[in-house]
Amino acid sequence: MTATAHVRTAQAAPPQAADVSRRKAQRSAQRRRNGAAGVLMAPFFLLLLLVFLIPVGTAVWLSFFSDDQPGLGFGPERTVFVGLRSYAAVVTDPTFLSGLGTVGLYCVIYIPLMVIGSLALALLLDSGVVRLRSWAQLGLFLPHAVPGIIAALIWLYLYTPGISPVIEALGKADITVDFLGLHTTLPSIVNIALWSNLGYNMVVFYAALQAVPREVLEASVVDGAGPVRTALQVKAPLVRSSIVMVAMFTLIWALQLFTEPMLLHQSSQMINTRFSPSMYIYDAAFSRNNYSLAAAASVILLIITIAISYGVTRWTNRVEKAEEHAR
Amino acid sequence: MPGRQSRRSVLAAITALPLTGALGACSGNDSASARSGSSSKSGTKGTTTITFWSALRGSQQVVDAFNKTHDHIQVDFEQIPSGTQGGYLKLSNAARAGNAPDVATIEYPQLPGFAIDGVARDITSVISDELRAKLLPQSLGQTTFEKRTYSVPLDLEPMVLHYRKDLFDKFGFDVPTTWDEYAELARRVRRTGGGRRIATFPTDGMSQMAAWCWQAGAQWFDISKGAWNVSMADAPTRKVAAYWQRLIDEGLVYCNSSTSRLYDAQIGNGLVLTRLSGAWDAGAQMNARPEQKGKWRIAPLPQWTPGRPALGTHGGSTFAVTKDSKHPEAAMEFIEWQVAHPDALRARLSSGASSQYPAATGLIPVGRAAFDRSYYGGQDIYRLFEEEAHKIRDGWVWGPRMTATGYVMQDAFARAGAGSGTILSAMRAAQDGTMPDLKALGLTTTQHST
Repeated sequence: MTATAHVRTAQAAPPQAADVSRRKAQRSAQRRRNGAAGVLMAPFFLLLLLVFLIPVGTAVWLSFFSDDQPGLGFGPERTVFVGLRSYAAVVTDPTFLSGLGTVGLYCVIYIPLMVIGSLALALLLDSGVVRLRSWAQLGLFLPHAVPGIIAALIWLYLYTPGISPVIEALGKADITVDFLGLHTTLPSIVNIALWSNLGYNMVVFYAALQAVPREVLEASVVDGAGPVRTALQVKAPLVRSSIVMVAMFTLIWALQLFTEPMLLHQSSQMINTRFSPSMYIYDAAFSRNNYSLAAAASVILLIITIAISYGVTRWTNRVEKAEEHAR
Repeated sequence: MPGRQSRRSVLAAITALPLTGALGACSGNDSASARSGSSSKSGTKGTTTITFWSALRGSQQVVDAFNKTHDHIQVDFEQIPSGTQGGYLKLSNAARAGNAPDVATIEYPQLPGFAIDGVARDITSVISDELRAKLLPQSLGQTTFEKRTYSVPLDLEPMVLHYRKDLFDKFGFDVPTTWDEYAELARRVRRTGGGRRIATFPTDGMSQMAAWCWQAGAQWFDISKGAWNVSMADAPTRKVAAYWQRLIDEGLVYCNSSTSRLYDAQIGNGLVLTRLSGAWDAGAQMNARPEQKGKWRIAPLPQWTPGRPALGTHGGSTFAVTKDSKHPEAAMEFIEWQVAHPDALRARLSSGASSQYPAATGLIPVGRAAFDRSYYGGQDIYRLFEEEAHKIRDGWVWGPRMTATGYVMQDAFARAGAGSGTILSAMRAAQDGTMPDLKALGLTTTQHST
């Protein structure tokens, strides 16, 4: 705004000086714009540096060094460059690999449930079938406002035999359930995550659905599509970019699975201290006092996350392009 | 112009805020640690103040007794959570920050780890020959690596058989002396019905499993050849694993955590007839279940070969001087008093019943005199412990990351209890989960998978 005002005053000046002063004004406007952009973006880059680049750099650095003692290890320590030794240790550690497997299975169960569930809820709300729409939205969204650790505590209470009213009630009906048994821990964790995040993602989808042009929907009704068909074949494809985004964020969160199993671990031996890669990292650093190993595992998890995110993005882009071609 | 200027400066100030905040926090921490560091130095003239962390019951009483009788050294005690409840984490974090206490309590299995990390100081030169002579050689052997001593043992706990005398009498059972007899008895106990079992296989029982394997001649970790040789599924271990696997498969033992309420109920309701645990557990049982007074007795642990008795330990603590101690001599004096002075044991016992078997054997009469025998129907349990302590096999070595090794093992025990895997596969899993850790620590390692 100020820049255009300046340009206008410059135009009013005598013609000979005008050219020079215009250029000057343009240059200063450019500089000011750059300055403003710099100032406005500085916090972002500063935070990026402080909370992402420096920690990642430290982790990478840590992963290549170790406080070694020769032989049995009882001698004095010295910090040495160990190359990929810690990485080799992580990738040959069956407990780390089984943690990856666990999270992989978790993603396979959780992400489809989350995306389909929240989309279905959003479509239901959007279709106007639901009464008291804002109340339903609030009720579904509210769990997201509960911090993850509190949510896990609530569910820990509901899952633990002996104190859980749910298990007691089911017990009275002669139904025995062990929410923290050999095969039930993963579903139990999926349940917590769904409860926490379903409402949030539903709001994302609902907002996207609001942007679907009404005339398109009217056209589909005119063409004779019922509400279900409209939802599945008209609305859902139109919010595809939101679906990809939600799936991507859910995936990134899921790969970092930590809070819920960490807390449930107290109540069940079926959730071990290296249940997920994040728990493995925590255990390596704080229980095994092996910072080099923890750093290497963190870098590996980061690389996996970036690789999968990149792969998913590339894949969806290609699919989209292919469809455009088909049209 | 002036408006923009001020806006810019405001922005600059805002962006600078988190930075100064962080710097402020750092400097705050520094001064705090410096203060706590200096506090251990200062004190009244001529008095050395040392700090002491322990999770052991009765430590406060011991410290009070020490402070009352000593002028030149005063001990500042802090009760910390037990090791697995965060006590060890607290210790290693403090050591990392450079403010570990002068004296810390470390259990035998965790000592090699703390010695390798340099938290426990090499005290070979400050430990007096007089003190060495007072301690059982088996106990000192557990705290000495490559001829360097890293801590002073407080107690040594031979594993013994605690059994329900009343129920044994009722059903006409004899106390088993061999593991074969024990298995046979397990079948008879099961046949009495009422949900009774001879024992619970503890799914959180790395230390129990270690004691059984130690007794059978296993050597999970061996450092005699200059490298950490890991062999957690050696022949004796396989024998022990197969033994318990059979008891579990035949439904002769319960299989659950020994720190669970379920286990409490099993013992409390008389469903479990024997407990296999260290000598210390006799006192713990008295405190935990006073209503079972007179019902329990203690016998030697069953043996594999009656003619050649051997034993492993279950439990026991040691005191280490940490690397951060500024007064290692004073710390050593306190430790020596704590493990070898009769007043220290008396003070410890004043906090409640304890049946710890002191590593300083000269204190056994004190423990015996202070112990109320009525709970065990007048049985002289200390005499039994004394006989058993001499059977403890020499040469057992705990691993460099025993807590972590134990977790992997116990997780697999729990899965085995739930029908996925076996005790033996748990041992192999523990070894596989330990090796990468040791390699990443830069230790020289070898391993045997048979």
